[in-house]
Amino acid sequence: MKKQLDRREFVKIGGLVTAGTAVGLGLPLLPLYRASATGEVADLSGKRWGMVIDVSKCRDGCTACVDACREENNVAHHDDPRFDIHWIRKAKVSRRVENAREISMPLLCNHCDDPPCALVCPVQATYKRKDGIVIVDKHRCIGCRYCLIACPYNMRMFNFKSNHEWHNETYPVRAHGVSESCHFCHHRLDQGMEPACVEACRKANQGAIVFGDLNDSSSEVSKIVADGRARALREDLGTHPKVFYVGL
Amino acid sequence: MKIEFAPLEGKSPQFYLFMLVLFGVAGAGLFATYLMYTQGLHITGMSNRVPWGISIVMLIYYIGLSAGSLVLSAMSALFGRKEFKPFARIAALLAMLLLVGALLSMILDWGKPDRVFVPFMYFNFISMFSINGILYSTYIAICFVYLLAMFAEKEKLVGVIALIAVIWAVGVHSGTGAIFGFVSRELYESPLLPPSFITAALSSGTALMIILLQLLFRYTERPFDQRYVKELSRLLAVFILVVAYFLFVENSFRAYNIGHREAASFFLFGGSHSMVFWIGLIGMGIVVPALILFTPSTKNSIKMINIAAILHVIGVLCERYIIVIPGQLHPADILPNMNVESVALDGAIVSYSISFLEVVQALGVAAIVAIAFMLGLRIFAMLPTQALIEDETS
Repeated sequence: MKKQLDRREFVKIGGLVTAGTAVGLGLPLLPLYRASATGEVADLSGKRWGMVIDVSKCRDGCTACVDACREENNVAHHDDPRFDIHWIRKAKVSRRVENAREISMPLLCNHCDDPPCALVCPVQATYKRKDGIVIVDKHRCIGCRYCLIACPYNMRMFNFKSNHEWHNETYPVRAHGVSESCHFCHHRLDQGMEPACVEACRKANQGAIVFGDLNDSSSEVSKIVADGRARALREDLGTHPKVFYVGL
Repeated sequence: MKIEFAPLEGKSPQFYLFMLVLFGVAGAGLFATYLMYTQGLHITGMSNRVPWGISIVMLIYYIGLSAGSLVLSAMSALFGRKEFKPFARIAALLAMLLLVGALLSMILDWGKPDRVFVPFMYFNFISMFSINGILYSTYIAICFVYLLAMFAEKEKLVGVIALIAVIWAVGVHSGTGAIFGFVSRELYESPLLPPSFITAALSSGTALMIILLQLLFRYTERPFDQRYVKELSRLLAVFILVVAYFLFVENSFRAYNIGHREAASFFLFGGSHSMVFWIGLIGMGIVVPALILFTPSTKNSIKMINIAAILHVIGVLCERYIIVIPGQLHPADILPNMNVESVALDGAIVSYSISFLEVVQALGVAAIVAIAFMLGLRIFAMLPTQALIEDETS
């Protein structure tokens, strides 16, 4: 009997100590919570980000989106096509017929709703966020490069070399040995801004890229997608990309 | 007849010299890995378009070779071929160590091998790599218990574990094939890959055992019945035919199916990998060994059988190469029926050249496996003092 009481008392004291420690450690964090709750970060709940690219407005030779992405995200350029990293890149595309018109268009991570890269990642370093962005946790990535193999669009890139181009000091550079790809500039979205490529394209007077919330049926992207003119790349694969192209 | 086991003598100068060479190669391999780890994988032949190189080839090669050990142990424990019992211990040891070699190839290939514990903390149970990681490590554990049971001479338990090991091996080999077969890449995607991987595993593993057993018994100067070689060569002959059959089905599917024809012609006639396919795999790995093993005048010659086995072991290495590499050289079809051109080499056929460092690393892992195997034989009573088939008449 005495022994049981002892144990109960022990649990009580232990519980109090644990709770006290937790509150004590947690208190200093409270201002942080308040800061985020008072609107310094945009409210992004319920969003599902998507992009529409009108290739008829995309100009050959214009690399505004690519340059902006490099500047914003410190994307590494090593002057070697084997190791250069591209989150967004310009491609020249033409139908395999005679006298085919050459189309200029950007290619970037499609942020698939069923991303094969996340499917194969053995450590869940690549995952799809609630807002649909497919992102890599570079602190968890083991560098096995299975995502590069699995991506049917070849949009995954691996840091074969360390990245020293620190254009944007507010965004980290990456060490060699981890994979990466476009993440729709999630850090800019948090501040209520658009991805860097979208802004750059508009500033270059092209306005070929439209970005927005696919969950909001009144957003421009939703309207274009609902319209039926937009096509995603390799829709037959069942990956359900959230980057769409008009005019392909 | 009671089978007696004894450790290797391991006192001859040759033994020490052999071990010294192995340690040297292992050291070189680890140094190559250190260079890759500190400088980044750009010092290898890999690239963003060809992210998997020799390490992955070796990973699946090791997995396949381990199947031969299983054949040997299953022969005595499951199929009642008691004359194969002398090899049960070395077979289990080798299966275990080859799996370790496979895991080592996999981990040393990572961009961040220091994050080796991360996969234990965060599983993605639908990733083929995670599934295989679990299958490989449990298989190592099964082989270890199997070995213990044999040392304890618990006959019934050995039989049960052998059965479990065989079932588990089907998973291990299928899972390895699925790393590629279940990915939607034109020259990877194939439900045939898991079963065809199993057959090439059985054939290459058996061929390896044919060579290895003879070497072990010759250099330890222990009596060895050549009839074992003939027995195993009969199995090898059948396995080789099944491998050829799977290759035929897979490639004729690609060549026949309009959508895959372009990729098929790239695979079969599109570059240096096609030479690896035709000369390495089809010629050395299948046609010549099959001719040797089915021609009445050569099929009973130990020398010819050995040539067939060596050629086939090399041939299956070529097979592993063409599983991994050509599928990456061929571009992803991002926009069907369109020509695509970009700075990231979209739509272009790329090349991969094996780098010296990758080869050194691969040899290093092989040396580590060999060191562990030799030490196992040296310390524990694994190798039988003699392996002779008893004649029923005597």
